Amino acid sequence: MLKTLLDNDRTFRYLLVAPAVFFILLIGLYPFIKLIIASFQNISLFDDIRSFQGLLNYERLLSDDRLWHSIVRTLLFTAVALPIELVLGYLLAVLFLEKIPFKAALISIILLPTIISPIVAGATWRLMLDQRFGPVNQIISWLAGTDVKLLWTVSASLVWPAILIAEVWQWTPFMFLLLYAALSNVDREQLEAAQIDGASWWMTFRRIVLPAIMPVMFIAVLIRALDLFRVFDLVWTMTQGGPGTATETLSIYAYQMAFREFEISYSAAIAFLVIVLLTVFVVAALRRVEVSR
Amino acid sequence: MWSNRIMYTQFVKNTRHVLTVSAVCLGLISNAQAQSAAEQAVEAAKQYSGVTLNVLYEAGLQPLDPKNFTGPLWEELTGIKINVIESPVDQMFTKAMQDFRSGSGGYDLLNVIPNQLPDLAMSGALEPLDDYVDKYNYHEELQGIAPVYRDNQMKVEGKIYALPDDGDVLILYYRRDLFDDPANQSAFEEKYGYPLAPPETWQQFSEIGQFMTDAYEPETYGAGLLRQPGNAQYMFQERFRVEGGRFFDPDSMDATVNSDIGIKVFTEMRAENSWMPPGVEQWGFIEAFNAFLAGDIAMTISWPPVGRWAAGYGKGTEALNWIPETKVADKVGYALPPGGTPELAVGFSLAVASGSANKEAAYLFAQWMNSEEISLQRVQLPYALRDPFRTSHFASEEYRSRWSNAGEYLDVLQKGAETGLLDLSLLQTDRYEEALRQAISRLWSGEDAKKILDDLAEDWDQLTKRIGVDKQKRVYADWASKPNAYP
Amino acid sequence: MNRRDTGWRLWLRFAIALGVTLIFAFPVYWLVAISFKSPEEVYAYPPVWFPQQLDVSSYLTLFRDGDVVAVWNSLITAGISTVLAMLVGTLAAYSIVRFRTGGDHLSIWIISQRMIPPICVAFPIFLLYVSWNLVDSYVGLIMLYTAFNIPYVTWMMRGYIQDIPIELEQSAMIDGLTRWQVLRKVVMPMARGGLFATAVFTFIFAWNDFIFALILSKSEVVTYTVKVTGYFGSQSTFWSKISAMSVLGVLPMFVVVATMQKFIVRGVSMGAVKG
Repeated sequence: MLKTLLDNDRTFRYLLVAPAVFFILLIGLYPFIKLIIASFQNISLFDDIRSFQGLLNYERLLSDDRLWHSIVRTLLFTAVALPIELVLGYLLAVLFLEKIPFKAALISIILLPTIISPIVAGATWRLMLDQRFGPVNQIISWLAGTDVKLLWTVSASLVWPAILIAEVWQWTPFMFLLLYAALSNVDREQLEAAQIDGASWWMTFRRIVLPAIMPVMFIAVLIRALDLFRVFDLVWTMTQGGPGTATETLSIYAYQMAFREFEISYSAAIAFLVIVLLTVFVVAALRRVEVSR
Repeated sequence: MWSNRIMYTQFVKNTRHVLTVSAVCLGLISNAQAQSAAEQAVEAAKQYSGVTLNVLYEAGLQPLDPKNFTGPLWEELTGIKINVIESPVDQMFTKAMQDFRSGSGGYDLLNVIPNQLPDLAMSGALEPLDDYVDKYNYHEELQGIAPVYRDNQMKVEGKIYALPDDGDVLILYYRRDLFDDPANQSAFEEKYGYPLAPPETWQQFSEIGQFMTDAYEPETYGAGLLRQPGNAQYMFQERFRVEGGRFFDPDSMDATVNSDIGIKVFTEMRAENSWMPPGVEQWGFIEAFNAFLAGDIAMTISWPPVGRWAAGYGKGTEALNWIPETKVADKVGYALPPGGTPELAVGFSLAVASGSANKEAAYLFAQWMNSEEISLQRVQLPYALRDPFRTSHFASEEYRSRWSNAGEYLDVLQKGAETGLLDLSLLQTDRYEEALRQAISRLWSGEDAKKILDDLAEDWDQLTKRIGVDKQKRVYADWASKPNAYP
Repeated sequence: MNRRDTGWRLWLRFAIALGVTLIFAFPVYWLVAISFKSPEEVYAYPPVWFPQQLDVSSYLTLFRDGDVVAVWNSLITAGISTVLAMLVGTLAAYSIVRFRTGGDHLSIWIISQRMIPPICVAFPIFLLYVSWNLVDSYVGLIMLYTAFNIPYVTWMMRGYIQDIPIELEQSAMIDGLTRWQVLRKVVMPMARGGLFATAVFTFIFAWNDFIFALILSKSEVVTYTVKVTGYFGSQSTFWSKISAMSVLGVLPMFVVVATMQKFIVRGVSMGAVKG
């Protein structure tokens, strides 16, 4: 019975996926082909030249320090922000698992940062961190007892912390939400049994909690890692990649090359490199999920 | 029609523009006397009644002129609608270029930053205007534009591509009450051995600033300058040349911005921050003029609107309600910045997009706005960011009586228009400027000045190599040969 | 009731939770407060924490100058593309789950499309749109957002549909319903919670887009994110406009999330667990 249900009607099943495949090909395939072709050409918006120049753009990739710095920077940022968000999100989730008055209202408010646009988050934190008109320096001044005027978005040692604060503020609630939901599903009886058996907190966490929340955590980390890897909006509004190129992430560099410097072909080569790297990473990661299931 | 009239009456009342009335009537004046450039434009434009022109403007205050004043007025006179498209200034070039390359003809009239004129004109994005200027007899009135703008912000390779439309120049504003204070004067002279007056050298600027800060901190600091990289790059270009610096070696086209002069200027600029208000590194136009209007700083160097607004001009205008009330209205002095050769920073010229379907109508709108009659009103719009750029603007009795020392203000602007220094203009100028902006933001972040400038020179050399050394050399030589390229 | 749920422990937890909530909420408050400040207060030093009176002139300016159209543009593009993406993505998800169409390859290919950084394909898409004359149009942005959200919808809906007992569909078919009717009358209602949750996030993604809107808009279809960044001028940074426009742009999100909270919390977790 089940088999006949699944097997009949071949057209219907393809009909259902057709629109999705069509849309993705329409918007995805042509640009991708165009990208590959352009990366072998010598296109700049400043002139009409369209000549092919072989692998020149790809050779340039190898010796482009600014590109590699931006990639390393982006990876480092991801590596720092992600664990912080994960841990803070987990702690929050644990806290909110307990009975708390007005829980639903508080959760709604905590979720606010996650749903606002990164552009607005960036603008908000520029306001917050303004050395003169912003409340952050004011609060620090109170705590320190002296007038503190930190140049959050100007000085080289503070820009990354500034962006990190904004990023963690915006996405910790997301982690919290997912982990909260996952933790709610952990078997309470099992936990209580472990407690009665005198298992340590760590043992309980490793043996019971972690396996239960692992799938959710994995997806959450994957989603955030990919978003962090292409971070653009937040950094763009806060620093535009400055000072100098100190906060130039991969996406910002790619934007600068394509739309400020009009190096169309070279930016196509960059894009192609990024797509290849990401695809390898993502497919590997997803296969792991499938396997682990 | 009548409701429009009423709207205008209201507008005239609001902004106290007596002249507007006569302009509204322009279309009604008979052809008895020789027609002015504005009248001719209106006459000829009537054939395009019903057309809509897309005009690219810098986002912010600039578009208020076409949105509130020239746009509605032009529509009433000619039936041509003006649709203003706003873009942040650093996106304007990208948008214009993108539009041209895509061939979509999305813009008819462009506001072009003059130092980007060569790029746009040589790539074919702009329409040559000589034929139109001939056809509509605009040569004579073009001559009324102050020479530095007329000679440098209009032509590329001998052809007219744009009408200079904005007298941007960075001049010095100072607090007369503090400079004239006898106690300050004697104390200053005793300490430094020369009388307290608006600084003529950067050395003096630094000494006066330090002196004022010591005397009035934290209520008032010696100065607050434009330090945001986008603005500060112009200040650097000016000071670097005032001190004798050259951007490139004219023979090899190697960047020489990392010379000792460059290092000196960079080092001094950073050192000055120590006696300016904390956080001055972030200051742009708004922050600096806010501080000046609030009485927080004794000197600043900025674009002309600061001088007007600080004097209280435009107070009560709705469009300016976001400007804090000036506390220094009768205390503002005007002078050229140290060195006496102010930067003609940014500025705007009106250019017709080559992809436009309504080139002639677009040109006529530009000629009309740019003409003696209409431009005089535009530069007096209290909320406008268009600054005096015609000899007649500087001399206008009406303008000179706008506030107590408006005459002084206009005189300084006029002097600036004679001695002012042009922004560096090359092929792909924007990329050179971007590198400079990045260098300045690194400067504020505390890196070594020499290292930054060496990197900047390296970046510039790379750019030059990619664009073509010989090609760029010619363009640079052409620019450097202009009388206002170097002092 | 557990002992841990009463007395001072409860209130201590509440205090901590409240503190955390305030920390997360404060920047949002600050943004809103600035939009209601008078010009003097915006640039006051030390900063003003509570505006003296609600000054709505920032908002009035946005309405008077017609800038609010940007919010409308965002609503149109995000709204329509969400409906389209939900429809197309859900159908694909159903096919993948029930018929194992394309095996793992199809679903992985689809989801991998979401991983491409927008900036990488922005320029080719711009060129494509130029030749199709879709720059600065509703259709252009809607198509783009739809295409970019289909992978997400498919992925999430896959999880929800897997949860629906297949026996239900079997019995419905025995009762004589066609495949299409099964989909409409059995599957869709069963997956309702998931549909809502997914739709909310799809909407948020489209609503928050900046890069595509920046590159593909000119004058007509300027979305609110592009509008906000437009106020960071070089000669003029209008903090009151930036904050007021931001508030207008964030408000619809707050409404959506507040009304849909139940679906979101449950929906996201389930979608992710089953992912």
